[in-house]
Parts: sequence; C-alpha cells; structure tokens
Amino acid sequence: MATTATTKTKWWAGGRSPFNVEYGKVMMWYFLMSDAFTFGAFLIAYGTTRFATNGWPDPNQVFNSFPGLGSGFPLLFVSLMTFILIVSSVTMVLAVKAGQEMKKNEVVKYLIWTIIGGICFLSCQAWEWAHLHHEGAWWGSNPFPNHDGTLSSTNFTNFFFTITGFHGFHVLSGVVINIVMLIMTLNDTFEKRGHYLMIEKAGLYWHFVDLVWVFVFTCFYLI
Amino acid sequence: MEHTSEVLHHEGHGHHDATEGKKEVWRITLYLTILTLVELAIGYYMYKAGLENGFFKNMLKGLIVALMMWKAFYIVGYFMHLKHELRNFALTVVVPLFLFIWFIIAFLADGNSYNHLRNTYDKNHQERASLKMEKKEVEHGHGKEHHTGEGHTGEELK
Amino acid sequence: MSNEAVLHANVGVSGHDAHHDEHHGHHHETFISKYVFSMDHKMIAKQFLITGMVWAVLGGLMSVLFRLQLGYPDSTFPWLEDILGKWAKGGRISAEAYYALVTTHGTVLVFFVLTAGLSGTFSNFLIPLQIGARDMASPLMNMLSYWFFFIASIVMLSSVFIETGPFSGGWTAYPPLSALGDASPGSKTGMDLWLTAMALFVVSQLLAGLNYIATILNMRTKGMSMTRLPLTIWALFFTAVLGVLSFPVLFSGFILLIFDRNFGTSFYLSDIFLSTTNTALPNEGGSAILYQHLFWFLGHPEVYIILLPAMGMASEVLSTNARKPIFGYMAMVGSMFAIAVLAFLVWAHHMFVTGLNPFLGSIFVLLTLLIAVPSAIKVFNWLTTLWRGNIRFTPAMMFAIGFVSLFISGGLTGIWLGNSALDIHLHDTYFVIAHFHIVMGVASMFGMFAGVYHWYPKMYGTYMNNTLAYIHFWITLIGAYLIFWPMHYEGLAGMPRRYYDYGVWESFKQFVELNRFISTVVIIVFAAQFFFLFNFFYSIFKGRKVTTTNPWGSNTLEWTTPIKPGHGNWTGEIPEVHRWAYDYGKDGQDFIPQTVPVGDNETQH
Repeated sequence: MATTATTKTKWWAGGRSPFNVEYGKVMMWYFLMSDAFTFGAFLIAYGTTRFATNGWPDPNQVFNSFPGLGSGFPLLFVSLMTFILIVSSVTMVLAVKAGQEMKKNEVVKYLIWTIIGGICFLSCQAWEWAHLHHEGAWWGSNPFPNHDGTLSSTNFTNFFFTITGFHGFHVLSGVVINIVMLIMTLNDTFEKRGHYLMIEKAGLYWHFVDLVWVFVFTCFYLI
Repeated sequence: MEHTSEVLHHEGHGHHDATEGKKEVWRITLYLTILTLVELAIGYYMYKAGLENGFFKNMLKGLIVALMMWKAFYIVGYFMHLKHELRNFALTVVVPLFLFIWFIIAFLADGNSYNHLRNTYDKNHQERASLKMEKKEVEHGHGKEHHTGEGHTGEELK
Repeated sequence: MSNEAVLHANVGVSGHDAHHDEHHGHHHETFISKYVFSMDHKMIAKQFLITGMVWAVLGGLMSVLFRLQLGYPDSTFPWLEDILGKWAKGGRISAEAYYALVTTHGTVLVFFVLTAGLSGTFSNFLIPLQIGARDMASPLMNMLSYWFFFIASIVMLSSVFIETGPFSGGWTAYPPLSALGDASPGSKTGMDLWLTAMALFVVSQLLAGLNYIATILNMRTKGMSMTRLPLTIWALFFTAVLGVLSFPVLFSGFILLIFDRNFGTSFYLSDIFLSTTNTALPNEGGSAILYQHLFWFLGHPEVYIILLPAMGMASEVLSTNARKPIFGYMAMVGSMFAIAVLAFLVWAHHMFVTGLNPFLGSIFVLLTLLIAVPSAIKVFNWLTTLWRGNIRFTPAMMFAIGFVSLFISGGLTGIWLGNSALDIHLHDTYFVIAHFHIVMGVASMFGMFAGVYHWYPKMYGTYMNNTLAYIHFWITLIGAYLIFWPMHYEGLAGMPRRYYDYGVWESFKQFVELNRFISTVVIIVFAAQFFFLFNFFYSIFKGRKVTTTNPWGSNTLEWTTPIKPGHGNWTGEIPEVHRWAYDYGKDGQDFIPQTVPVGDNETQH
C-alpha cells in the first residue's frame, strides 16, 4: 500500500501525517469520538430504562411552557433553543472560515456572536430548569404522570436533568473555550503563529456540542 | 528534514473559494432548519392527533430518528468539515461509531426483556403501572423531598 | 506539528545530547523538570513503571493477607492485629477487611498495575522509540496523564486508611452495594474515594490514549509505513483505541452511580429493603443490570487493554530471541484487530446469570466463542515462530514463552466459560478465578516482565542480573500454575468465590488442605517477586553496563539510539526505515535492522 504508484501521494509511508491533518486536530476528533461514547452511553441508558418501564410521561405535556406566555405551547421553547444552537454553530463555521482566510476582524466578530449564542442557550436552559424545578421536578422527584395519567417513574426527570445537565456543562465549557479563543485572537496570538488552527479545534468542539443537542433534543422532546 | 509537520494546503479549498464556502454554509443551515421544522411538525402531529402507542406511532418515531441522523450527517460532514478531510481520516472517525449498532440493540433489547420479566413475575410492578397519579400542586415541590422520591411511594403502593 | 517542533515548543532540547554534559547551555534541566514533571516520554514511562510496581507490591500483599484467611481460617496471626488494627482483631482478618482486601486487590491490579503500569509504561517508552519520533505528539498531555494517574493512586490509597475502610463490594462495584452508603461500611466514604480515584483514572487513560493514537498515526518516521510497524506498536495502538472508546462508557456509568449515591435518583435501584437500617427504600424503576451492562462495556475491552500490550511484547521478544521472523505478521495484526472489534461485542458474557435475556445471551455466546479464532491464530503463530528457531533463552524470552503457555492454559477455560449453559454452573466459582487470573492476570504480568527484562538495557543502560531473573522466572511460573490450577477443581465442585470462610459447608471441607497449599504457594510466589524488585533497583546503579547500542541484535529502531538516549532520542537526524522489523536470519545474515536499505539481490519477504 505504501508503494502503489509514484504519482500518488504516499500518505501512509511515514514521515508525514497520513491524513494531512495536524496532530492536535486528530486528537480533537478522537476525543470527540470518545465523548460521543459518553453521551451515547447516557442516551442508551436512558433508552434502556425507558424500555424497562411501563409507561412514560409525554414530553409535550411536560415541556409546554414559554417564558411570558405561560403553558400550552408544546415544543415551542425547545425549538427556540435548538434554533439558537444551530445559529451559533453557523457563526462558528464562519469564524473558522474567516480564520482560514486570516481575517482577524471577522474571526473576532463571529466568535462574539457564537459566544452570545452559547450564553443565550445556557440562559434558556437555566430558565427551563428553574421552571421545571418550580413545578416540583428535580433529581429524584417527578411530578409528571405518564401520558395516560398513571404513576410515572422518577427516572424521567432523573435522566432529563442528568443528560441535559451534562450537555449544558459541555456548552458552558464550549463558551469558556470560545472566550479564551477570543482573547487569544485579540492578542494576535494566532496572527503571530501564522494560522488559526486553534479556532478550528474549538470549532470542532462547538459543533460537537450542537450535534449532541440534536440527539438530546430528539430523544427527550420528540420521541 | 522532518516531514511530519507537512500539512498540505487543504485540497478541499483548492476549488471552491471563500464565497462559495460561505454559500455552502448557508445552504446547510437552510437544510438543517427545514429538517428541524419537519421533525417538529411530526412531533406536533403525534401530540395533536393523540396517537396511541402502536405501529404507526413507532413508524413516525423511526422517521424522526432517521431525520436526526440526516441532520447529524450535515453537521459532521459540513460544519465539522469531515467531508472535506481525506477519506481515510473520515473513515477512522466514522467506522468506530458502528459499534453503536450492537451497543444500542443489546441494551434496548435487554431493557425490554427486563420489563417483560418483571411484568410476568413481579405482579407489584405491573399493578403499580396502572395506579393513577394525583396531579401535584405547583407549590408542592421545591425539591426538598428529592431524597424521599415523593410521588411514588407511600400510599399508592399499599 | 513536527517532531522537532514538539521539542522546541515544549522543552527545547532537540539535538541535545544528554550524555554529553558539556552541551547543556541555555536549557538546563532541573531535578524537577527532569525527574518529576518530566515531559520526556522515557522518564514518564519509568514513572508509570515504578508507580505500577509499588501498586503491584501493595496489591500482591493484599492477596497474601486474604489468602491467609482462606488457607488458615482457624488460625490466628497476632502480627496481623499489629499492622491492621481493628480490621484483624485477635489476629484474624475480619469479614469486612476480607472483602475490602479482595475489592482493592482487584481494582488495583486490573487498573493501576496492569493498565497504567503495563500499557502506560510500554506505550510511553516504546511508541516514540520504535516508530522513530522525538517524543509523543503532546508531551504535556503525556505528563498530565501520569499525574492524573498519580492523584488517582493517592486517592485510592487514602481510602485504605479511613475509619470505615475502603470499598468492599467487589472490583466491579455493582449497585446496590456501591450505590447505598448504608449497605456496608465500605460503601460509605470508601466508595466515594473509589469513584473519585476511578474517575481521575479515566481522565488519565483518555489523555494517554489520544496521545498514543495521534503519535502512532502522525509521527512515524520516513519509510515507517503501518505495515512495517513492530507488532508491539500495533498492539499498543489497539490498546489505546480500546481505551478511548470504552472508558467513556464506564465514566457515564459512574456518573449515574454518583447520582444514585448522592442525589436520590433511581437509575440502578428498585425495590430495596435495607436490613442494616431496617427500612424500605423509596427508589423505584431502576435496574442494577443497567449498571452491569455499562460496566462490562468497559470491563470486557479492559481485559484486552491489559492483554494486548503483553501479546505485542511477547511477539517482539519471541521473534528477536528465536532469531526468526515473526510467523504471519499480517495475520497477527489482523487477529489483534479482530480481537479489538470483538472486545466491544461480547460484554454481556459476564452477565449470563444476572437476569440477562437468555436469547440475547445466546448471541453473546456466539460472539464470545468467535474470539477463540484470532486467539488461536496468535498462539499458532507464536509457536511457529519458535519452531526450529535458534532460541536464546534470555530472561525476557523465558517470560515470553511463559506468557504463551499461560495464555493457552487460561484461554482454553475461556471456551468453557463462554458457553452460557456451562456458565450457569461455573459462574462466580473458583473456576472463573482461575481462568481470568491465568489468562489475563498472570499472563499479562509475564508479558510485563518480558518487556522489563528485554528493554531494561534501553531504559537504564545496564543489564539486570540473569541468575536472579531465572530464579524469579521459575518460581513465578511454577507457582502461578500451582496456585491457579487447583482452583479449577474447586470451581468445578461449585466452590463460590468471594466467600470469607468455607468451613461451614460440608461440601467444601474436602478443600481445606488444598486451600492451605494454595495459600502457602501464594506466599512463596509473592516473596519471589522480591528477587525481581531487588534485581531491578540494584541493577539501575550496579548492573553490568551496556556497551553496545544493540545488545540483543534486534531490528527495531530503539536500538539505533545512543545507549542512554537524551530527550529527543536520536542525536542527529531520525533514521529512515527501509524494511519491516522482522528480518532475522535472512539471506544468511543474523539480523538486518530496519534502517538498512533493501539490497539489490535480496530475497523478497
């Protein structure tokens, strides 16, 4: 495989990265892969418990409030949260692209938007948690009956708070990473280095957080 | 001398310049939005139509999962740029994820079997599932009782 | 980042020649930066090794203590009270202490010795040296990985000294024993510390694993294609992949367990009446089986995380000392790959009798038995490598051959246990103890010893003493068989594991003598390890000096470095590689190092 044709690049022959990717990015990708297994394990544990339980609350009856509007709006608030996260992902892509073109000002602009998006998402989550807590939901206490009105399991709220909490923790650390990136950009650290690879790695992490939300959103709010 | 550092200029950028790259981003954003809206529409339909658990509802849920995977593909492929990395690299990231197939099947199947076993051999488990739950007062829970797991225990079980 | 850049960015010693001390200009290494917070992969490897050795002694000592109880249940040893205090009132280990010892022995040996001490040592030491890199991709992460392990060690060790004792619910930490503080004394603070230590350990493993993978893929020297890698590197590569993909799942399981312990959730708990407090717990809806699934999703790959490095090192040592190419290189790589994949598919064979769906169990039986295929391929390849070889019985070679022997003996009983029907009888008996101790525990220890004896000259520039090494080998090999072989009979007779005292069962009274015999051998074998320890530390300072760069006549790249390589490994340029690592006895030459270009009239391999 190393010596097939001379015209082809010998990716695997050693002396270079076989993927044409710098090692930090390789590590970030594989870290995200392993983190996917962390979240995967959580969501699969959630699924397993749901399969092992008779009846389950209907998310549309539980998550139906919107700040300022009261209750009766299933899916509305979580749609907003999803939208915020997708938009912040888009601004992150734009920041990465600006970095590849070495445009410092654009990087700064888009990073700020991404950070704002992240903070908005966290605020939404804080509101939702506070609201649910006010309704009596917390780890170990579940006030919501099953969809047919029967006695439900606390594992509904247990898993909800644990998994969205773990995701929120990732968002929080993503915001912190982005703020660090912003400061480094403003200090011309990357200009001096001659490349914005760090922004790309931070971007990968941020998109991963968005990706996990796609799964969390589907598993908790839709099905 | 040292060749490890040599990361060639990315082939992905060679043929599409900055504006084209931005166009792609907006295109993917549009796709993601549409997919999310479709998911929400299905979710809302399931709720409004008051579907009973059954084949049709499960089909819809399956559809939502399929749409979810489709979204994941866009995010990983375009936002995370994996489609523009070398194929080998993309494979090393994607192939291990196939372990999830058996991971999911075995776990869920065993969860299902556990429920079945308990419903068969533990009458209490099944009876409990048919108990009605009183609607909680809003003031009731401020999380204080989270050690006792209120809402489940006590009276109903007797 | 290039190999050179790694060094410039972090330590700045490229071209630095450690054994030419006139050269230490502007980057003088202090004691702290050289021996403590070192970023040199070779020093980190030694740190892992020595920490692992400390843990091995402690873990081994624990097994001696609980074997005393099993072998001499009616005797008292007053000195035990002196060292253990209230845990051994009247000179007899209490039941609590017994369970705590068993649990800690398992945790320590599996994670701290055979994971960190084995793959931590040799991944760090061999990966950069054998692929031709100056250091790891990220020396900083590498250093952090060791220090996370070190903190984990401290936390785990501190749990031994607390009032309520260390965790005592078995190394698998199944709930409810691990989830309910009131369940047993060890489930209180001891379990908190256990969980903290293990969480830190997972962080350490992830930092290390990502680094190993990135290094092996990205930093191979020119000409070192993947198919020219020594089998050690392949083994360490798969080990790292297994760790990166399976430890997160354990981590998730632990987080859910922490919530069950501290925040009133019921992920793993349901329908529990606690006799210690005489209360019915409100927890409802959880399943302890879920924890077991999550645990064993790591737990089974963990077995291969332990075993694969030993396999890789045994392959290398066998080929070098048989002066023959390894038989079936690609088959070896392929079978390791197959093992790595299957490792993720078979976890529930540890759970056949826990209430797992029997139909699902039968699929797990099928997948489990498939592992016999790559394992057998490897065994046959080792044997055919030895076949008609010009064998040099160095201590490393003895241990490598011992590894193969133990792997066969222990692997065969795996075929029994993989069948769920047989497992109903054999699960949780001494048969299981015998199986996994031989195939995973002792075999991997042998791989580790082989590695230490073989690469010791590279590590310290001196040789270990052969006579002591041979004594160490024979006592350990014969002892290991004498300890674990009889346990098969006990297990077949139904003697369960984890019991404190078998005296009350008429059916197990026949084993009193046998248990005493086993315990006696345990003490002898444990004592024999001091031959190794003494040899190891004595030889660092007083061992015979290595005078040639390539004392074993070996092909791999680490033997092209100076006798005591400095940080950066090669003084000049990194050599280029032209051939695979196993050209022994080719075309009438004893060995042809990887750096020698392929000659014009050389035969194809």
